[in-house]
Amino acid sequence: MLKLIADFASRYNARINLDEKFVLKKDNKYFLLNNELKKLISKDFFYAGEYLGKTRKGRFFPSFNLLRMIAQVEANKISVNEKAAWLFICGRDIFRQGIVKVVGSNEKGDYTLILNHHGECLGFGMIQRHLYGKGNEVSVRNILDIGDFLRRESSTY
Amino acid sequence: MMSGREFFIKRYEELGWKYESVKPTQAIRVNTINAKETAVVNRLESLGIKLDKIPFVEGGYWIQEAKFSIGATTEYLLGLYSIQEAAAQIPASLFSKLKGKLVLDACAAPGGKTVQLANLMRNTGAIIALDIKRNRLTALTNHLERCSVKNTIVYCLDARQASQLQLKFDCILLDAPCSGNFVTDKVWFNRRTIEDVKRNAMLQRELLTEMTKILSDDGELVYSTCSLEPEDNELNMDWAVKNLNLQIENANCYGERALTNIFGKKLCSQIENCRRIWPEKTQGFFVCKLKKAG
Repeated sequence: MLKLIADFASRYNARINLDEKFVLKKDNKYFLLNNELKKLISKDFFYAGEYLGKTRKGRFFPSFNLLRMIAQVEANKISVNEKAAWLFICGRDIFRQGIVKVVGSNEKGDYTLILNHHGECLGFGMIQRHLYGKGNEVSVRNILDIGDFLRRESSTY
Repeated sequence: MMSGREFFIKRYEELGWKYESVKPTQAIRVNTINAKETAVVNRLESLGIKLDKIPFVEGGYWIQEAKFSIGATTEYLLGLYSIQEAAAQIPASLFSKLKGKLVLDACAAPGGKTVQLANLMRNTGAIIALDIKRNRLTALTNHLERCSVKNTIVYCLDARQASQLQLKFDCILLDAPCSGNFVTDKVWFNRRTIEDVKRNAMLQRELLTEMTKILSDDGELVYSTCSLEPEDNELNMDWAVKNLNLQIENANCYGERALTNIFGKKLCSQIENCRRIWPEKTQGFFVCKLKKAG
């Protein structure tokens, strides 16, 4: 069960240590519990502890909790300026000019977390081309951003 | 006919409040598990949002001016604050101690008070959050994920069957389904009848009965509604004291002492320890803190 999550983290060149006995799968969703919750939980729960992500058609879709966990360890991350951060939250890609700092991979096809100037994780994307090159082209394609909470709300209500 | 605008306005006058149209002011509550209050306030003010501190709740602010939706800022999406009406921030604040406790949020969706409880508990202990409607649970769980809540288990369960969980709770928040009020519902007067109100009151009694069964002997039960109708409020609390062996503690918070005389019916004196909030700076609201008697 943890291999799926470890494999996902490895796409950011990150390692996260989750204790398997605290990770619970419910349908296609994964949750991280603590000791207290583990003692209390019964099998028909809907949501518990920290939601880690879900699988669909064999692919893993991370939660923002999991992205925040990865952001706390050594991993591929880029910091972006305020304008790029806002556009990213609105679902747009990251252009090279918006990048302030790169930590970790520059490799096309790798995943990288997107952080704002406060160091807060706004989501993640896939590196499209070298992040330090010339010109102002799309450098990171948006895969998931926190604006998703609003998109979910409009589909929930 | 026991419905309509004039009928209800006359009732409020009989209860001692003269009707006035109230436009609710939007409010937020800073999630201090995720950021320092001053830092969040500074960030919002730098966006041009004018805030006014709510004097009767911790971390609460009225939005005096915002040129855009406060539900679409980066800070909101990062879970640094929640949008929560000012009076609705009161019930969770009434528990004497929450850290490390086992807490039930009996009718939890959409989760504003659940997140507030987690915040007050600093993500310690455990919250069991229930709601009967599965589609509302999605909104609740989105809220928990956005605000980095870690100590909650959510079940799709009718709170009237909460004893199925076989747990005894230190604290129970029963923010009961109620008749609502005209401040937050523009067509409230057109769609509410006294029969609806009485039906809601019966449901609330069933909920109170179940909550009493699963409350630990020295536990605290906070009951709240966003209704102005005494059937949802004082009359139910009077019934709870007389039938469920509960006693009412003084709710030391914003609001007027609740009414002990309803349309000529004298209620038990403990009722004045509850708080009734007539619409003014907030929507209409009612809170009561109960413990097991003796």
